[in-house]
Amino acid sequence: MSVVPAQQSGGGGGSSGLYDVLELVLDRGLVIDAFVRVSLVGIEILKIDVRVVVASVDTYLRFAEACNRLDLESGPNKSPGLPEIVGEVTESGARGKSKGALSGAAETISDAFSQARGEGEKESQTQSRPRARKAPARRKEEQE
Amino acid sequence: MSTYVYGITASSHPALPEDATGVGQPSLPIRLLTAGELTAVVSDAPEDLRPKRRDLLAHQNVLAEAGVAGCVLPMRFGSVADDDDAVTQVLQERQEHYLERLRELDGKVEYNVKATHVEEAVLHLVMAENAEVRALAEANRRSGGGSYDDKIRLGEMVAASVKAKESDDAQRVRSELTPTAAAVSVGPESTGWLLSVSFLVARDEAEHFVAAVQQIRDENPHLELRVNGPLPPYSFVEPGPAEPAGSTAGADAGAQ
Repeated sequence: MSVVPAQQSGGGGGSSGLYDVLELVLDRGLVIDAFVRVSLVGIEILKIDVRVVVASVDTYLRFAEACNRLDLESGPNKSPGLPEIVGEVTESGARGKSKGALSGAAETISDAFSQARGEGEKESQTQSRPRARKAPARRKEEQE
Repeated sequence: MSTYVYGITASSHPALPEDATGVGQPSLPIRLLTAGELTAVVSDAPEDLRPKRRDLLAHQNVLAEAGVAGCVLPMRFGSVADDDDAVTQVLQERQEHYLERLRELDGKVEYNVKATHVEEAVLHLVMAENAEVRALAEANRRSGGGSYDDKIRLGEMVAASVKAKESDDAQRVRSELTPTAAAVSVGPESTGWLLSVSFLVARDEAEHFVAAVQQIRDENPHLELRVNGPLPPYSFVEPGPAEPAGSTAGADAGAQ
């Protein structure tokens, strides 16, 4: 979506960017063997392999339901890259569903991702679909 | 009192603001330890340091602030030395190595790109491209959703297509952005994204990099790209054999 890169000005501050850099702060960076590192118990959750989650019966059922709900008239007969499709997706709250697909145990972190995405989404909603329902995104933010 | 280390920079590096603070609650004041041509950005280490949101942010913010004035080699979160002397000793012992890294990374910053699918847009694509999926979905719909087995069959087909798209898209985003970067480092797989990859970008090339990202967004409405940067070069501090396992899968690919 049309989000300007976060933290353009020096990289400080925003906590919404934290979850996206978490992996870097915790997992990259210089390690010096003469120094001790703090224990990271509980953080390994980031490493869960997405493929395990995708190939589950739950996912199949969910995809099947999602396909049933898709408006076929606007699907195969139109070029899939058309912007209206993005609008549609935004409006029907795909955010919550894709979270369902791709998250397993990493629920908290995914929520944070969703929140960050929701922010960007709101921007594009205001631009392209002023009447779009915003309630789902907002509810999510309040939970945070 | 043990010493928390944020990063290493050149001693010619401009000082941080007087009141800069880092990890701990309340935040502990930042100090600079200099040995020869190197300076370590440190603070006292809190007794019960854990990877909490607040401390992770503090670590990141100190590095971001220090990085504005010039290259800083970022430490991984949670690096604690016995005391200040242990830090300056490391600076002395490995001065040549760190100076070389600072020279190499000078004027360059890291941009991390994470890609996810916009699910319904991807499902549209899958249906549009695959007549069999389309027919099955339509049949299920007519019969009020289809039987359990029908659903599983449809879902499995869709999941396979989505998965194939994930890896195609990941590959494509990576290769389209690589020409604008000095180095590339592929991040771990996770449930949060279909691609996480870091690019080392010269500051004065950043504009091109950001434009390239925007172009991918414009051309792929089914992809969501989240860009974080400029960041300290977390993924590019150690290209040598001392490299921590798992942090570098693609660093070699982009080394040149």
